[in-house]
Amino acid sequence: MFALMLIASVTTVFFLLRDALNTTLVALLYLIPLGIITALWGLGPGITSAFITFLTLNYFFIKPYYTFTVHQPADIVILVVFLMVAVVIGQLVGRAQAGLAAATAREREATQLYELSTALTGLQDEHAIGRILANQVHALAESEYLELYITGIEPFVYQLPERNPPERPPELIVPIEAARGVLGEIRLWRAEQAISLREQRLFQTFASQSALALERAWLARAESRARVLEESDRLKTAILSSVSHELRTPLSTIKAAASSLRGKEVSWDSPARVDLVAAIDDEADHLNMLVGNLLDMSRIESGALNPKREWNILPEIIGSVLARMKRLAVDHKLEVDVPESLPLIPVDYVQMEQVFTNLISNSLKYAPADTVVCIRARVEGESVHVQVSNQGPQVPQEDLERIFDKFYRTTAADRVTGTGLGLSICRGIIEAHDGHIWAENVADGLAFNFTVPLTWDGALPPPLPMDTEAE
Amino acid sequence: MSNAPHILVIDDEPQILRAMRTILTEKQFRVTTASRGEEGLTLAATTEPDIIILDLGLPDMEGVEVCTRLREWTQTPIIILSVRDSERDKVAALDTGADDYLTKPFSIEELLARVRVALRHSANRKGAQGAQSKVVKAGPITIDLAWHIVKRGEEEVKLTGTEHKLLAYLAANHGRVLTHQSILTHVWGQEDADHTEYLRVYMRQLRKKLEADPERPQFILTEPGIGYRFIADE
Repeated sequence: MFALMLIASVTTVFFLLRDALNTTLVALLYLIPLGIITALWGLGPGITSAFITFLTLNYFFIKPYYTFTVHQPADIVILVVFLMVAVVIGQLVGRAQAGLAAATAREREATQLYELSTALTGLQDEHAIGRILANQVHALAESEYLELYITGIEPFVYQLPERNPPERPPELIVPIEAARGVLGEIRLWRAEQAISLREQRLFQTFASQSALALERAWLARAESRARVLEESDRLKTAILSSVSHELRTPLSTIKAAASSLRGKEVSWDSPARVDLVAAIDDEADHLNMLVGNLLDMSRIESGALNPKREWNILPEIIGSVLARMKRLAVDHKLEVDVPESLPLIPVDYVQMEQVFTNLISNSLKYAPADTVVCIRARVEGESVHVQVSNQGPQVPQEDLERIFDKFYRTTAADRVTGTGLGLSICRGIIEAHDGHIWAENVADGLAFNFTVPLTWDGALPPPLPMDTEAE
Repeated sequence: MSNAPHILVIDDEPQILRAMRTILTEKQFRVTTASRGEEGLTLAATTEPDIIILDLGLPDMEGVEVCTRLREWTQTPIIILSVRDSERDKVAALDTGADDYLTKPFSIEELLARVRVALRHSANRKGAQGAQSKVVKAGPITIDLAWHIVKRGEEEVKLTGTEHKLLAYLAANHGRVLTHQSILTHVWGQEDADHTEYLRVYMRQLRKKLEADPERPQFILTEPGIGYRFIADE
């Protein structure tokens, strides 16, 4: 349409200047709009325009005017040459044009592919990969419905838009294939416009790109799993060696004491007999504590700690721990500084006892004899803050966090026995209570701190029934 | 020997059975052993023991089920044995009728103390309602259950109604463990059976009035995760 208008306007201009121009010049000038038309609208309109121009040239500019008859032999030559040149130009320009279009299409595909692979780079999550692939294909194909199915350990389907697929089978199915086999497929519904070979090829490339990304993600996950396994294997070896060493110490004492009691070395009325029996008893308790620690640790590790919360009185817990530890604490002075007004706290009584037992026994182990171990508690905002401080050796700043790690021992390990589990059990229990635990160096020693919330699911302790009557 | 108390031990570990048999026989008890729940139930019915010691970790039956089935027909005291950290099982067994518990590993003194308490309570139960008029003494504390008088030394201790009810229940069952639920049900009523905070607060008040050092009680003892135990003079 525009081609016709262009020819008409050019013809008008030439017509007005007809007297000033000769026929040959007009024919030459006509080649300009012809070239433009072919360049703009392609080969078909170009050739058509060539024929129309041929007729207008003949009709308006070759004498006799306003007829298609030609009198001068020279004019015939002009017309024939013009037609040949016009057609040849049209074809040449048109072919160049088609080549350009193909190149542009290829470039667009390359860009889309580039965008896809950039988007997929570094993705470890198959859901994200699937979402990107589905969105890209859906947008490019302008499909009415698209379904992406990914197999694997946890297969999933991604649908665009999110509704039930059409009743009919999909127009195109592209498998997502990698070296390991088929990882899934893209199902595409598009009825209005048939899917061209070029599009199929493009989607196939998209699918293989995504297959690579999926495979990479799976491999990365497998690798990190392998690393975790290796780490836990290393830990287990550490546990075994630490545990068997720790268990053997009390066992040796028990065995030595029991066998000498059984044999004839110790006479029945010897005072050594009492010592040996006491050693067996103490070491059996020690052994029991070690096994208990191991059980606690495995429960924390498997996330099966589940505190049984109840409203408890902190001084009661501390009191029963201190009563039980009386024998261990003979060399130290224990001070308790807990205000009478401290509210009830929602904790598991037994687990909280465990925390105090471990923190206090740790303090007793490392702090020199005749020093003070102080237990202090205060309400701070929404939680209660408890501090167990001792006058023992300080811990280097960089190790303050690590002493709560499993099997981590400070350099004094050779002096002191223990599995290196006590503090990490404390951390497990406190964290299961939504609290926080940390250690800090204080002026004359080391302090363990922890907080536990004062509320239970946001609630304060229920009011007690009134009981004011005295008998 | 035939009138010596008879103890039935139900435990699946042969080493434990061997040790128990040796020690308890040495202490002049008659001992019968069973290694399975069903066998234990049969022996309980045929040998009529005075005390049953029951391990909660039997291979063929839940310990709680053994307790329930025993309590269907007998009031013989049951002392349960279990490992640490199974408070829920212990409480369930105690609330279904077991009388006391011991956590493995335990000392023989503890076992014998439990056995003595269980025997005394079962004797009281059989000997009509004699226990009602009793006076319980624990160190400087005297509790007259019939007259509702509590003294510390020569001085009378003023208790509120609830405190008195609580102390009376503890003292009447002295030596025995009482679960949170059983105390709450007995003192406050069935509807308050899960309000352990009442117990915490009232026990603290009682300790302040009765114990020399309320933080380190000698008579009103906490059984972590289970309940309380009142220790009186034997």
